[in-house]
Amino acid sequence: MKRYRKPVQYIVLAFVILIGGYAIGRSFFHTQEVLKPGSEAPAFNLADLKGETHDLASYKGKPLVLNFWGTFCPPCRNEMPALQKEYEKWKGEGLQLVGINLSEDRITVQRFASGVGAYFPILLDRNKRTEKLYGLKEYPTTYFISADGIIQDVVVGGPMSEEDIDSRIRKLFGR
Amino acid sequence: MFQNTKCECGHQNPAGTVLCESCGKPLVEDLPLDSPLEMRYDGVARRSQKENPDIIDRVWNFFSSVKVAVWLIVITLVGAALGTIYPQESTFINLDDPAQYYKDTYGTWGQIYQALGLSRTYESWWFVGLLVMIGTSLVICSLDRVLPLYRALSKQQIRKHLTFIKRQQTVYEGTLDQDPEAWTQAFAEQLKRKRYRVAREGTALLAEKNRFSRWGPYINHIGLIVFLLAVLGRGVPAWHMDQYVSVDEGQTKQIPNTNYYVKNEKFTVEFYKDSELPDSLKGTNRAKLYETKAVLYECTAYCDDPVKDPVLTEVDRHDIRVNSPLSYKGLKLYQYNYEERIRLISVRPMLVDSKTGQSYGPFELPMSNPPLTYKVGPYTLKLNDVFPDFGMDEQNRPMTKSRDPNNPAFVFLVTGPGLSKEGEIYIYFPLPSAEDKLLEQQINASFQKSGNNTGRFSFQVGKMENVKFSQYTTYLNVRVDRAMPYIWIGAGISMIGLVMGFYWQHRRVWLRIDDGKLTLGAHTNKNTYGIRAEVAAALNKTGIAIEPKALDNRRKLS
Repeated sequence: MKRYRKPVQYIVLAFVILIGGYAIGRSFFHTQEVLKPGSEAPAFNLADLKGETHDLASYKGKPLVLNFWGTFCPPCRNEMPALQKEYEKWKGEGLQLVGINLSEDRITVQRFASGVGAYFPILLDRNKRTEKLYGLKEYPTTYFISADGIIQDVVVGGPMSEEDIDSRIRKLFGR
Repeated sequence: MFQNTKCECGHQNPAGTVLCESCGKPLVEDLPLDSPLEMRYDGVARRSQKENPDIIDRVWNFFSSVKVAVWLIVITLVGAALGTIYPQESTFINLDDPAQYYKDTYGTWGQIYQALGLSRTYESWWFVGLLVMIGTSLVICSLDRVLPLYRALSKQQIRKHLTFIKRQQTVYEGTLDQDPEAWTQAFAEQLKRKRYRVAREGTALLAEKNRFSRWGPYINHIGLIVFLLAVLGRGVPAWHMDQYVSVDEGQTKQIPNTNYYVKNEKFTVEFYKDSELPDSLKGTNRAKLYETKAVLYECTAYCDDPVKDPVLTEVDRHDIRVNSPLSYKGLKLYQYNYEERIRLISVRPMLVDSKTGQSYGPFELPMSNPPLTYKVGPYTLKLNDVFPDFGMDEQNRPMTKSRDPNNPAFVFLVTGPGLSKEGEIYIYFPLPSAEDKLLEQQINASFQKSGNNTGRFSFQVGKMENVKFSQYTTYLNVRVDRAMPYIWIGAGISMIGLVMGFYWQHRRVWLRIDDGKLTLGAHTNKNTYGIRAEVAAALNKTGIAIEPKALDNRRKLS
């Protein structure tokens, strides 16, 4: 019996560290992760208004502005023109500006976007999946993502003015 | 304590031994010399007691202490009690900003409570840590005690030291006026009839029964460990789920984070009629039935496709009632709540030409995912815009106020014979409310003013059978709890252990005859009355008259 005493101690304590470590460790990460500057943007794969699909990876390599919006949210509606202006201004420099619609009907989105003259790419979320993935609590929410896919800034609520958007895009380009 | 472990009988005992493992002579004299012995664990040393503990031994010894275990349990109980002062965050279905909610609802104390993390007590690192420590303590305490106890009980000496026998709780001493061999034989027979297992060594005797009850506490501990592991196992995401879905009648909804979809075909709520109620309850709404006719689907293709709709296969259907959930492969859907909220599912309107009085159709118009074009008589209707919850924005443009179909409006472009090439634009509100009908007229009139239509067409549903609507939204509680069988197994093992320990007692009788002098001692961990009665009966039957009470060693003391 004595021979096994030490190994038994090690085995029992190893199990405690393994199982206990897992259980305690989990309690730290249990709170729902809110996307903050510094975290990586979660991957998605969504269709645009023409039905072509785009995934997040295809935007890598250039700065990206992701704007979550819906036609039912007045500040979202109000900031569309500013987003369009900034898109036109920075497009030539390689900026990508993408609107993700909050799971509305394609026709509703199309009508509204052309009505306000928003021609930057718009993707359609379905069943609030991407919205939940990003843990959205308020609309609009805009993510400023650097070329390496890391979120640099998050703006919750709106509408943002052109200057608000411009200064953040400037940072993405390191200016 | 760690000295003088060699007994006078020559046996070398491990450090921490209280009673010599071989002859039972007390090695530690911390009690009055004639008081009953401390018989816990038969006086054997705890397994891990060493003279020079290293760091691992120290950790081990910490968890091996019952005193520590009791403190851990007390602290855990206090922690668990703190968690009950205000409701836990996990009991709320939708809690977006807990800090604000606790401040608003429970005031400053609520704010402090939430800030301290007590609103998440049972998921907190310290509470889980305490549970892990209790689990560790359970394993180590048991291991350290059960193994030495098992060894001690399986190799018991029959002839015990006189001190050991004399200092039991049940003791008889007297001179024997019969033949020692013959008397011992007769006494052994008496004990055997009481189902003792008897071992003899000349005129020394050891009788024992129900030793298995000594293992009860350890079996109980095994059960508790299984139970604790199962509780920790609930933390594995695939093992545990507890969420709520609201489904309108006729609606199919994905159960979040699963591959399953649930459809509410019909919800029924029934109340008792007054004739069915006792007088005191007449006139009150007493629910008789809540029922959701539910269908469960599994997605088999295009589940995450950004364009195509998922392909659903029906896997189960059940009329969910209170306490009768839909149950499929560990997934359970319980009836949780309902709400009366009228929502259109689809309508079949007619296109009415006010010029000729002729009407065309009807055509099927679903509220969710409506098709883009409709053929109605000679006319083509193109869906131009959809507002699920119609309203106006600050600039007086039509908008939808939410994503829910509370007050849908459809804009159609009508083309066909007798119409201009561009067609005519009409808005249609399917809800038959006066307010909506007025709005419809006003907007169509303004379209007419701006030249977008001639005011020729309108939409009419006519009979109610052309309207499909949802009256109730049902709320289902979706649960997965794969740890539950293990919790039951753990609880079952634990109960077996408790019964073993509670309803049987380990009883032992030692005796020796030295030069015609009989010394008898008996020990049991509980029910000393029982063992005194058994010993006294056996003595009486073999010619030694004695009252059970007179055998009580403790009584003599006081």
